[in-house]
Amino acid sequence: MFYAQLAVNGLVQGLVVGLAALSITLVFGIARFPNAATGDAMTLGAYSGIVVHRGTGSLALGSIASVVAAALMLLGAYGLVFRRLAGRSVVALLVASIGIGFMVRAALGVVFGHSQMVFQLPLARPYVLGGLRVSPLDLQLAGIAALALLIVFVLLYLTPIGRQMRAVADDPDLARVSGIRPARVMLAMWTLAGAVAGVGGLMLGIKTIVAPEIGWELLLPAFAAAILGGIGSPVGAVVAGLVLGMAQEVSTPFVGFTYKIAVSFVVMLLVLLVRPRGLFGRVEATR
Amino acid sequence: MEAYLAAISIIALIYVLLSLGLNLQYGLTGLINFGHVGFFAIGAYTSAILAGRGLPLPACFAAAAVLAGLAAWPIGLISLRLRDDYFAIVTLGFSEIVRLVVTSERWLTNGVQGIPGIPRLFSSLSGPASQAATFAAILAVAVLAAWMMRRIARSPFGRVLEGIRDNEEAVKALGKDPTSFKVQVLIVGSALAGIAGAFYAHYITYIVPEQFIPLVTFYVWMAVIMGGVGRVSGAVVGAAILMLFLEGSRFIRDILPGISEVEMASIRLGLVGLMLVLFTLYRPQGLMGDYTRR
Repeated sequence: MFYAQLAVNGLVQGLVVGLAALSITLVFGIARFPNAATGDAMTLGAYSGIVVHRGTGSLALGSIASVVAAALMLLGAYGLVFRRLAGRSVVALLVASIGIGFMVRAALGVVFGHSQMVFQLPLARPYVLGGLRVSPLDLQLAGIAALALLIVFVLLYLTPIGRQMRAVADDPDLARVSGIRPARVMLAMWTLAGAVAGVGGLMLGIKTIVAPEIGWELLLPAFAAAILGGIGSPVGAVVAGLVLGMAQEVSTPFVGFTYKIAVSFVVMLLVLLVRPRGLFGRVEATR
Repeated sequence: MEAYLAAISIIALIYVLLSLGLNLQYGLTGLINFGHVGFFAIGAYTSAILAGRGLPLPACFAAAAVLAGLAAWPIGLISLRLRDDYFAIVTLGFSEIVRLVVTSERWLTNGVQGIPGIPRLFSSLSGPASQAATFAAILAVAVLAAWMMRRIARSPFGRVLEGIRDNEEAVKALGKDPTSFKVQVLIVGSALAGIAGAFYAHYITYIVPEQFIPLVTFYVWMAVIMGGVGRVSGAVVGAAILMLFLEGSRFIRDILPGISEVEMASIRLGLVGLMLVLFTLYRPQGLMGDYTRR
């Protein structure tokens, strides 16, 4: 029962990791590099959300601000930097994404300072379902995440632009000769990756605190989830995020509070050793 | 003033050692090591802990190099068979785990309070003389390391490394096993980072986990990228520029008094980010780079 409760607590954390991993895997599948600025896009989303929430009192407006800010940031990063590095080695893109992340984190640190901010939300009594306590806030957050995921998967699997994105992810050259315009796909992909990161950042900020480092600290579990799920697999990223989020919470009684981040690192190493293509990935992508 | 110059020269030489190690790994072989600070931390903590138990300092330095090198071994074996970008993620994760361990294992590392009172090198000499001797020692090690790097780069071994960087498939086709070369390079570079860590611990005399954040790794990356990838002179020039930048940002606060220490830390972080982006975009070869190839 105790562990079931921990698993329920880990659910929201898992959704946050899953959203971050989804953003990473979208970029990895199409632009083909691990985007280390994902965490800082989430942080930007959290700050935009908290500022608008404080200004207007509306969480809905706050969420929109999170999504828009993070999407604009990654679009800007693409337009100014990543687009010009197309065709260069992975390390160039990777180092540039680290640099962009640093700049965003620095700007947030200068503007908002390093003291933590907290979302002022009304406290509510938890529901008790069959002995498990579930807080209404967690349910709301899970609802937001579910809605965001629904929109992303509808876009990816039921619309023409989604089909084009998946085609480019499968085989860029074949997609090109089939008449798919890469520039449009890239814009759509970066918007989507940013929006997903924004939702994740907002949830992270509500669930914990808002500080300049929160996104960066989530980057490692998010990479681990993207690898566990299989690079380039959106479903895999979300499932793996949930698994890792819950695994971190459930393992806390055994390994202690500080080492729970290490759980995802160990899982990542095991996956790389045993099954580098992850749960849902294709064979060719890893070696 | 002389004391200040000696102090920043010693720190600069520590960065030269770190840059030489990364230059061997990334510049020559193409390994994207994002966890350099992890090996630096292992070296610093190993030497500090052993010195605290009364071991003579040369033995501590040797242990720092050996342990940092040994730590690199399994990491290399697991991840170097995979794609480059996976290796980057694994090493970044490794350096964060090292920081978690030194933060949590209080019985060994004294946790967040850190290890104070680490013995200085040449502590039997007077203050300035001891500093001069430390400077001479680290300069000697750095010169030796730079000379070794040049020898490695020009040896048949070094040509294989360049081959791995430029075309791994071709190296495989010639019957060489790139993974074993990469593991050796990772171990040598990490051992060098371990020695740099030992110098750091015994010079600063006080280490806490906060000194070993990933930002340090990217300072070294900045030095290697700015100086010139794959060039020994580049590592030295890059480390010098890095030092100018780190120390210079301290003086900005004297000119613009309104900036707090925390804001300065953010500005420094942002400038490192900007440099990484600008150099990747416009000057991928760095300042001292090899312009004969792309």
